[in-house]
Amino acid sequence: MAIVGPNGAGKTTFIKALLDLVPRAAGQVRIFGAPYAERRHLVAYVPQRGSVDWDFPTNVLDVVMMGLYGRLGWFRRPGRAERAQAMQALDQVGMTAFATRQISQLSGGQQQRVFLARALVQDAQIYLMDEPFQGVDATTERAIIELLRTLRAQGKTVLVVHHDLQTVPEYFDQVMLLNVYKIASGPVENVFTEDNLRLTYGGRVGFLRTRPKVEG
Amino acid sequence: MELFADYTLRMVALGSATLGLVSGALGSFAVLRGQSLLGDAISHAALPGIALAFLLTGSKVPLVLMLGAALAGWLATLAVMGVTQATRVPYDSALGIALSVFFGVGLVLLTFIQKQPNANQAGLETFLFGQAAALVHQDVLTMAGLGALALLGLAVAWKEFKLLAFDAAFGASLGLPMRRLDVLLTSLLVLAIVIGLQTVGVVLMSAMLVAPAAAARQWTDRLGRMVLLAMFFGATAGMSGAFLSSRVERLPTGPTIVLCVSAIVLVSLLLAPNRGLLWRGVRAWRNGRRLRGEAVLLNLYALAVHHDRRDHPHERGVLDAMSPEGPTGPALRKLAARGLVRQVDATRWALTPQGWHRAAQLARERSIAAGPATDGEAAP
Repeated sequence: MAIVGPNGAGKTTFIKALLDLVPRAAGQVRIFGAPYAERRHLVAYVPQRGSVDWDFPTNVLDVVMMGLYGRLGWFRRPGRAERAQAMQALDQVGMTAFATRQISQLSGGQQQRVFLARALVQDAQIYLMDEPFQGVDATTERAIIELLRTLRAQGKTVLVVHHDLQTVPEYFDQVMLLNVYKIASGPVENVFTEDNLRLTYGGRVGFLRTRPKVEG
Repeated sequence: MELFADYTLRMVALGSATLGLVSGALGSFAVLRGQSLLGDAISHAALPGIALAFLLTGSKVPLVLMLGAALAGWLATLAVMGVTQATRVPYDSALGIALSVFFGVGLVLLTFIQKQPNANQAGLETFLFGQAAALVHQDVLTMAGLGALALLGLAVAWKEFKLLAFDAAFGASLGLPMRRLDVLLTSLLVLAIVIGLQTVGVVLMSAMLVAPAAAARQWTDRLGRMVLLAMFFGATAGMSGAFLSSRVERLPTGPTIVLCVSAIVLVSLLLAPNRGLLWRGVRAWRNGRRLRGEAVLLNLYALAVHHDRRDHPHERGVLDAMSPEGPTGPALRKLAARGLVRQVDATRWALTPQGWHRAAQLARERSIAAGPATDGEAAP
């Protein structure tokens, strides 16, 4: 599912509120019927890659293993099993060759794939991704789409904060239009209409007319 | 060893080394989390704590004074966090305010104490710049105990602290209590500062946190190694500072330790492989020279392709004119030394067969690199 909306619409805040990272004004988060606090392990988070210092002294494999810290528990260090899991996740995003690379020596797309691998090792049911397509190269974009398809085939739910309206119908089944309030939400073919987009973006969506007409 | 024969020197050296070890370790995390200035605020804020502890108890037992220092440092940290969260005052301004307010109160209290007719008060002012020479057995034991506590705390929650420093929001999404970990790590930082105050003083203490960590970061790309190296640098600076000040008359220990650690930083900034300035300069110069050589080779190749003859000789003047970097003489001689070009007569140069192959290969690489197939995958 894509979450789209103009800058400042609150897409990132929405994701962070789901995760208890920012206080919620109202409402509660239920995951498969239980409060989020009890089902936390079913949810994996992929933050915006600009949110961390990539000059931090660590390497790719280490960052991916951080996804396992929650499950490892206190006092335990990651060992061989964790290493193997992390390598497998890196393989899924095509980054095995970079396992021992210092993270400051990665391109933007590679950084994004490391973050995705870190979420994959969590083996969650629900993935929340904040702008994974932001400023990545073509290779990474293909890798992410491939990954989204794999996750969908495994029956997982993926929420993606997305910017490129044109690719929404191609990449996603569901979409939520957000601009401070939820404008509309549901299957792309029902919700991703010119009227709804105009409500969300305030009338500046002329380019969409070039898109093949969606059955209403 | 002569160094350890003298009781005073032994105490000073041991104390300074302990201080260096602990502040190197905790300072690494402070530096990586962008909290270098927090250490400065905490150490300045400790002064009123020391003064108040003395006023209330009348005692100069190190543990009592350190407790006062720790509480005041803690209070300052809480004040900074409170101000940043509740108001729109930015973090660095809040730090500045806390530092000067607490330090000001500390100076007032210190002056007040000094005017009292209490003979016991002598020596409290040494906390300003530290007085390592006054360290006795009991001080060093207290420092070692508290330092061991701080290091143990760091080791126990090592991976959680690493996550806190790298990506706290992600840690919170894993369900780890990031806020409590933040409080714990800051408390350990306060501990590290408190044990150094008597030796280095509140004014210079932040150098002992920041400098070893900054130097260590230059030499390694792994967190564990960085922390160990920072501990080593801190301890080395502590010991050498203690030793130097015992050798040279009227040389204060605390500032000397800080100068030693600054020297380590300077050397690291200049000489460390990869990140050092010297290394980077050499790399830039080498790259430039290699690219200039390749450009000349490619120019010769282009001319040769044009003339349908691989070893067609060309005037150096033509090559100079084709090169935006000016005269090509040095580059040609370098290429000749590698057997890629040869000088035909006084002014003319030609490609050798190897030069032709190398240039053709380069041309292929360049045309691929310039084509649409790239997607920025080459790491810098």
